[in-house]
Amino acid sequence: MLEAFIFAVILLGFLGTIFKQNLIMKIVSMDVMSTGVIAYYVLIAARSGFFTPILPETARAVDYADPVPQAVILTAIVIGFSIQALMLVGTMKLARDNPTLETHEIEKSMVSQPQSTSKSHRS
Amino acid sequence: MTFSTVAEPLTIGGIAGLLMLGFVVILWPKLDRPLALLGAIASGLYAWPLLLTSEPIALTLLDRFGVNLVADSLGGYFILTNAIVTAAVVLYTWQAPKTTFFYSQLLILHGSLNAAFLCADLVSIYIALEVSGIAAFLLIAHPRTDRSLWVALRYLFTSNVAMLFYLVGTVLVYQNSQSFALAGLKTAPPEALAFILLGLLVKGGVFVSGLWLPLTHAESETPVSAMLSGIAIKASILPLLRCALVSDDLELIVRIVGVATALFGVTYAVLEKDTKRMLAFHTVSQLGFVLAAPIAGGFYALSHGLVKSALFLMAGSLPDRRFPVLQEQRIDRWLWIPLAIASLSISGLPPLAGFAAKALTSKDLWPWQSVLMNVAAVGTAISFAKFLFLKPAPGPQAATFTPNGGFWAAIALLLGGLVVGNGFYLEAYTAESIVKALLTLGAGWLIYWTIVRRLAVKLSQVAEEFDHLLGAMGLTSIALFWMALSW
Repeated sequence: MLEAFIFAVILLGFLGTIFKQNLIMKIVSMDVMSTGVIAYYVLIAARSGFFTPILPETARAVDYADPVPQAVILTAIVIGFSIQALMLVGTMKLARDNPTLETHEIEKSMVSQPQSTSKSHRS
Repeated sequence: MTFSTVAEPLTIGGIAGLLMLGFVVILWPKLDRPLALLGAIASGLYAWPLLLTSEPIALTLLDRFGVNLVADSLGGYFILTNAIVTAAVVLYTWQAPKTTFFYSQLLILHGSLNAAFLCADLVSIYIALEVSGIAAFLLIAHPRTDRSLWVALRYLFTSNVAMLFYLVGTVLVYQNSQSFALAGLKTAPPEALAFILLGLLVKGGVFVSGLWLPLTHAESETPVSAMLSGIAIKASILPLLRCALVSDDLELIVRIVGVATALFGVTYAVLEKDTKRMLAFHTVSQLGFVLAAPIAGGFYALSHGLVKSALFLMAGSLPDRRFPVLQEQRIDRWLWIPLAIASLSISGLPPLAGFAAKALTSKDLWPWQSVLMNVAAVGTAISFAKFLFLKPAPGPQAATFTPNGGFWAAIALLLGGLVVGNGFYLEAYTAESIVKALLTLGAGWLIYWTIVRRLAVKLSQVAEEFDHLLGAMGLTSIALFWMALSW
């Protein structure tokens, strides 16, 4: 059941990256998708049990969660966050000349813009 | 003392050292160029003993949940390519007004690519690929024009979405085998294979899912294009090769995708009228050659990386980007000669490395593959006839070409590597394969002269639009799922 919800989140995020016109919305959809992926790692870590995997001096007879997927997804969260930040900064710069940030419009302006004049402004 | 005893500190120190060097360069701006060159030379030296080792050296850090590294000769070829291409790019930009930030990113990209060539578990590969993606993004966006920003954003977005799918596949493998090692792919469920292959295929610019590549490589600055096309794109090709070597089913899928990519890319390359876009599409087709014969892939990647970065550097010095315009004018003789050598190598003329690589690849091809790959090889000859049949000027009259010492040093390094690279596979020189190479070249040039030169077909670029790239990713995942399920 939970697995189905998580896959629905991933799929909805992916569809959002395709069908949303606005670049910001696309980036947000990508974030939704990555949230789904992170949730899936957490779910798989919790398959064996929910107890936080910290070993006390006398081990207790409870079902510990699997620490490995959690440790791995921590790295992926950091990477995802930094990519998100980079893309938003890039979008900010783009927004100066393409205020609507619609990807179709940006692509159209790239095609009509001749090669030589593309170095118009530097910031 | 053999290499294997010092492999562990050297490997880990090398990966960490190069990434650290990327940051040190920022603090020491005066030494940016020498330090970047030093980094490239260091990884070149590291690659040599790898090429000579017959047994792969497997390094397992911590225990089986930890990081797995593999230092083998397959990876050695890629690391050597990385070293030579990076050194050539540093030499090319030596006299250019590049900022220290450029060299810092170049070193980080270089280091993360080396890491990707050594990693042998799914999570480390993910991390290395993402770091290289970020460094490549910064290099592409470095001019900070609207155009470069958009190209870079599009690249990072596509590759990040692909890597999210890869992550899902990774955890499915873990769930199945309690380990992230590549060996777990053998028993993994088909959906896991589909997601992992999707991530690597998109990131590696293979087949329809790789249509983001031409615009990215063609619109970047000249040295960045050379870096991206020469080596950065191969960061996810090597993991694909490693996957192919794990199980027979995966090998079949990778080989099929390789042949399809070779034909797909070369079709676009033959019909393309823009120099840099032609080179970019041709990169797609050459990745297909690497994938079509996984064991021979390392040497092919080396010869392609050298020649493609040389071609991108030279294409940046041509007076115009469009072939029809170039055909009208004469280009400087001193530019034409290296251009011709590089074109001949990639078309497979002996005694250049391209010939030896093609011979080695064709030995490893399965029968049904070789027919199709020969067609792709003819296509390569046709595409590069466009460069060969440009008219060189008789004297030094073309004023548009003003090379500096750095340009010549870079080209000499890359083309010299092509000649020396032959040494890896001297057995290629049999009468049969030489005749075959010459026939391929002759057929290609004949078709070019009689048909393609006059052809004015313009392929639509609709499929390269951003939304379609993402949509193609969805379709590819479904196709891969069925392939993985049915075998």
